Amino acid sequence: MDRVLTDFVKVLRNANVEVSPAETMDAISVIDAIGYANKKLLKRSLAVALPKTLEEKQQFSKCFDAFFSEDFNKETKEKEQPFNDISLNSDLAKHLKEDSQAELMLAIEKAAEKSEIREIKYFTQRSVFTRRILEEMGVGDLENELMQIGAMNSNSLPTETEQQMRNYLNNLREVVSDYVQEQFLLHGDVSGEKLREQIFRSMNMAQIDRSYLHEVHSLVRKMAKKLVNMYSRRKKNYRKGKLNVRKTIQKNWSNQGILFNLRWSYKKIDKPKIIVLCDVSGSVGAYSRFMLMFLFSLTEVISKIRAFVFSSHLGEVTEHFKKGHLEPAIEDALSKYGGGSTDYAQALSDLTSLCMDDIDKKTTVVILGDARNNFGPEKAHLLKGIYERAKQVFWLNPEGKYRWDTGDSVMKTYSAYCTKVFQCGNIDQLERVISTLLRTAI
Amino acid sequence: MTKGPEGQIKKIMNGFAKHKYICSEQLATAVYLATKLEKPILVEGPPGVGKTELANTASLFYKKSLLRLQCYEGLDESKSLYEWRYGKQLLYTQILKEQMQEVLGGAKGLKNSLNRLLKFEDIFFSEEFLESRPLLQALTSEKGSVLLIDEVDKSDEEFEALLLEILSEFQVSIPELGVRKAKVKPLVILTSNNSREIGDALKRRCLHLYIPFPDVKLERKILEARVPEINASLRNQLVSYVQSIRTLDLKKLPAISETIDWAKTLILLNAKELDPQLAKDTLNVLLKYQQDIEIVTKEIPGFISSAAG
Repeated sequence: MDRVLTDFVKVLRNANVEVSPAETMDAISVIDAIGYANKKLLKRSLAVALPKTLEEKQQFSKCFDAFFSEDFNKETKEKEQPFNDISLNSDLAKHLKEDSQAELMLAIEKAAEKSEIREIKYFTQRSVFTRRILEEMGVGDLENELMQIGAMNSNSLPTETEQQMRNYLNNLREVVSDYVQEQFLLHGDVSGEKLREQIFRSMNMAQIDRSYLHEVHSLVRKMAKKLVNMYSRRKKNYRKGKLNVRKTIQKNWSNQGILFNLRWSYKKIDKPKIIVLCDVSGSVGAYSRFMLMFLFSLTEVISKIRAFVFSSHLGEVTEHFKKGHLEPAIEDALSKYGGGSTDYAQALSDLTSLCMDDIDKKTTVVILGDARNNFGPEKAHLLKGIYERAKQVFWLNPEGKYRWDTGDSVMKTYSAYCTKVFQCGNIDQLERVISTLLRTAI
Repeated sequence: MTKGPEGQIKKIMNGFAKHKYICSEQLATAVYLATKLEKPILVEGPPGVGKTELANTASLFYKKSLLRLQCYEGLDESKSLYEWRYGKQLLYTQILKEQMQEVLGGAKGLKNSLNRLLKFEDIFFSEEFLESRPLLQALTSEKGSVLLIDEVDKSDEEFEALLLEILSEFQVSIPELGVRKAKVKPLVILTSNNSREIGDALKRRCLHLYIPFPDVKLERKILEARVPEINASLRNQLVSYVQSIRTLDLKKLPAISETIDWAKTLILLNAKELDPQLAKDTLNVLLKYQQDIEIVTKEIPGFISSAAG
């Protein structure tokens, strides 16, 4: 019976429910405790052992219903009228004649197993698999036989037996086709989702359709989370906190064991402190959604963050992003600040006057933009001032490297005052950026 | 049917109901499996649906003592697991110094004295000086216990790591003393409000239970158990009213605890049935934000008429 469970786990994994081997073992002991008999109880029990978030629970519920409907709720009713006067000899004909629905279903499943139905991936493969299963069951032989009978029959009308058999055959085709559809939903559909995810990752962000915003958002959010984890906590000797007995005794043994030089341990938590500037001007128009999404994800996972967007003047959107939902927040930011012509000098001087006090040696400043300054003054000394105060300054440019410093782009001038600059136009690149940050930032 | 898992689960539901905790089958199943498989349960859900109360009720039901550990940022092993009694330890070293002559009595030469000292049983780091905190208490309890680790999402990640050993093996390693294993495995209930995503490692070790807002039927039953003095028609009105408030887009949706508070308020005010004015005046019991109250105030007449109907 464990085979059933592992198959089910595979289906769950396909549906983006992460199930570890340890959890599979748990599920096995759950089933040991309660058995397969009561389906409702089984569902409730597995629901506490396998899925571990609310979304996963919803997925689980769907998968469970689809998967176990196969195994449990087979119609077991017998055929209405058995008929004996048939002279057909092929195996399938016998099965169709004699078997109950349940046995037939079993035969279908066996045939499906042989034709590797679990490998089904795409919508278009359904008819191929239906045919394969039918052939595996011996439909070919039966059809031949029916043809022969038809040929032998001098009457132009088919006999009653023949007609009945053809009906059964058609019925079988329908059942198999339904079965394949069901299997496709279980095994194939979600692989399609994975495939889509792969494509998203390498696609240029300017070209992704807006309707996929949410899928991309969940990917980007994962990245933002990684970034947050790079901040460490450290224990330091300090003048307050908890008495460190071990160290105190060690330090004082030279004073004949009289403890007057006390040692304390005090935990210092380095909270990430990030200031992000996001260019939403006309020149980065196509990318700005992607960058705002990254910005939004950052505000979701980091508490000490200040988020700004700008075309020329800088506008703070921290509160707005923290409270709002993804799409309206992005639309709002775009309509309020977006579309204008870029003026980095203005934005940087705004930043200097707005939150220079907030920038200290623990602050990371991230600038998202293409550094296209419309041939205006660059005022790079402002960025220099920020660079000197902050722990690090990163510049993420959505344009390809070959386009930097062409036309009105002044990437070179600004990159002199950045700890590092990255090209960041799709999710794969974003991931690379983040892993580089992880290596260098600590 | 009293035997088998179904019977056991029924028994849990009924037992909990006796302690005025009305639960869904899903919840009872989770509790049953937790005791059967000896695994902790991680309970998630919006605030006020009875996550903490679950642990209280479980401790009453299983007649085991409840040990509660409230998590917060900065919680560490000295407050959750164990701590050395520094004061006593320091006194001990003082006493030891005075007694030194006795310990070393008669030993001649440095080497002899040192040998005596090494043979001398040192109790500086020993059970006597160990102050156990909830987690260790839960493990060492003779009769078993219910351990509630409340709002684990408020704690730091290091604390989560500390929990891993306790929750999977039911043991802790104290560097100075060695491994302490649980005598009787406690029933562990962790709650989380999802203010921070719990690590996968911790989730893997737990059964996961999500308590949603209750449906109409369940909420009526809960209200009946918790506020028995309220009459049936008012109860039904109240529940369908709260249920329709939950369909609105509010900052904080009213949970069961708020429904109960509100029912008690209405009884204090001697209300026989719900009318718009009364609903408006007592809305601040149900809702905790001014914006929410403003949104709901507009909708009151519609809700009341549908609740009455």
